[in-house]
Amino acid sequence: MTFWIELVATGLITGGIYALVALGLNLQYGLMRVMNISHGEFLMLGAYLTWLAHTVFGFDPVAFLPVVAILLFILGLAVYRLCFQRIVRTSPSVEVIEARSLLIGFGLMYLVQNAAYLAWGADMRGYSYLSDPVQIAGARFAGNSLLAFGFAMVASLAMLALLRWTMLGKAVRAMMQSPAGAQLVGIDTRVLHPAVFGLGLALAGVAGALLSMLYEITPGMGEPYTVTALIVITLGGLGSAAGCLAGGLLLGLVEAFGMHFTSPSLKMLLSYGVFIGVLLARPKGLFAR
Amino acid sequence: MSAELRRILVLLVAASTALATLPWLASDFMLSLALTCLLYVGLAVSWSMFSGATNYLSLATSAFFGIGAYVTAWGYESLPYAVVVLLGGLVAAAFAALVGAAVLHLRGAYFAVLTFGLGELVRHAITYAEKTYAKTVGRVIADPPESIDVYLTVLLLAFLAVAVCAMVRASRFGLALAGIGADEERAQTLGVNTRRTKILAFALAAFFAGALGAAMAVRWTYIEPASVFNPFIGFQTVLIAMIGGAQTLIGPIASAVIFSVMTEMLRLQFPYAYLIALGVLLILLVLYLPGGMASLFRRAWKPNA
Repeated sequence: MTFWIELVATGLITGGIYALVALGLNLQYGLMRVMNISHGEFLMLGAYLTWLAHTVFGFDPVAFLPVVAILLFILGLAVYRLCFQRIVRTSPSVEVIEARSLLIGFGLMYLVQNAAYLAWGADMRGYSYLSDPVQIAGARFAGNSLLAFGFAMVASLAMLALLRWTMLGKAVRAMMQSPAGAQLVGIDTRVLHPAVFGLGLALAGVAGALLSMLYEITPGMGEPYTVTALIVITLGGLGSAAGCLAGGLLLGLVEAFGMHFTSPSLKMLLSYGVFIGVLLARPKGLFAR
Repeated sequence: MSAELRRILVLLVAASTALATLPWLASDFMLSLALTCLLYVGLAVSWSMFSGATNYLSLATSAFFGIGAYVTAWGYESLPYAVVVLLGGLVAAAFAALVGAAVLHLRGAYFAVLTFGLGELVRHAITYAEKTYAKTVGRVIADPPESIDVYLTVLLLAFLAVAVCAMVRASRFGLALAGIGADEERAQTLGVNTRRTKILAFALAAFFAGALGAAMAVRWTYIEPASVFNPFIGFQTVLIAMIGGAQTLIGPIASAVIFSVMTEMLRLQFPYAYLIALGVLLILLVLYLPGGMASLFRRAWKPNA
């Protein structure tokens, strides 16, 4: 019994982080059709910032979370302004925006990843933080993974609340439903697009900061998370924040159980199996009506 | 056969014949540089034959290339080099047809992302299969063919890729592909079997990537999944074709030569800085010159077009 609780918890903890990573990407894609394939690289930046702050300047990683979020938000504004604003405004159709933003994402991926290699080298970096086990209901968990799960959930739910109850959230949802209609009632894309792009990167940065508490980090760590985020978005449905959360947790569970029953080296194959299966059977997402 | 196509083919045969004498004239370094150029000419031209025409952004080149390389790894001991290369192309084409049948109804980002993951998927599958059944991580190619044979094989493949691409562009099949790229529903309404056309073109492009992978694999002597499924090969191919102008024939050829020379010169000396520069270049290009280098010349020739 204890074993099963631990397995489910492992799945949920991974899934919580997946949901957080995917949420940012989903917002960006849902709102402006920008497919930012370099999302994982910004996750990696968040992880390295936290590692630097903790090991060099002695900051507490948890207390540093808001700083990472703010820094990545500002970086997001700059990246949007420099790279994506022009294609969103000048492309003739959404398909062209998708294709061009994808290519720009590839450019950013090579830029950011190799800049990180240049700055910090290819070595694994890490620090130990709250790694003592905690007993809950007879099952043992590492303290840091519970903490990461808690923060991932808080950040995801805060995002959902923001979308549901604030003016900004209403504007974002209106824009997703009907871009022209939203602009007619006075919602300004010039404010909303950069803000949402920045928010997406901030979420990725927070996810990276949380991951740096759990695992060792390398400049190449982001790429698999980008792919996972895309799978989660497919599971949950494009533009659906709640679907994203459910999809992330579900994928975490599928991976945990799948790896237990087969072999850990099949993790990627499992995720892709899910991805291709969903794309073929329910291309609009598992929860679409 | 139109006059323009005949002119292109004659030029191509002349250029290839001239290049075929290179092994007896040039130094080893020049020969290896020419080999890289030809490899990327073949990859970029076959990529743009499908993706440039249809606007389906395929990132699966490294998957096809790796599959071809693994056909060599498995078959080279028992089969002659030429057969292995042909087989590598055929296996990659069959794989592409299978995958294409499943996912080619997806457009835009989904297709790109799925093909992006394909390389990783095949790499993990082969790593797992080799570890479980063959108890090995990599394979050694014993007794590789002469470098002249490798060069001439790759030259022949690059020649075929360009010739096939030129012929496709001049045919009804090529028009159907371009029609799909312009407006898929309209093409369908006008009687194009879009599904069959896309799968066929996707498989044809994969054949060349696979055959080139099989031909180049013998150069490594030691083959392991991490090196033959290197995403850099796929990325470089897309970059070359896009920068040259994926809708044209000459664009990818010219930029393949430029980039291969640059890569050989700079990548070993400044590995990270070179990739950063490539990334910046790609971003600038998409922002300010979405039609590629070839669109510069077209604009210069026809100012009002």
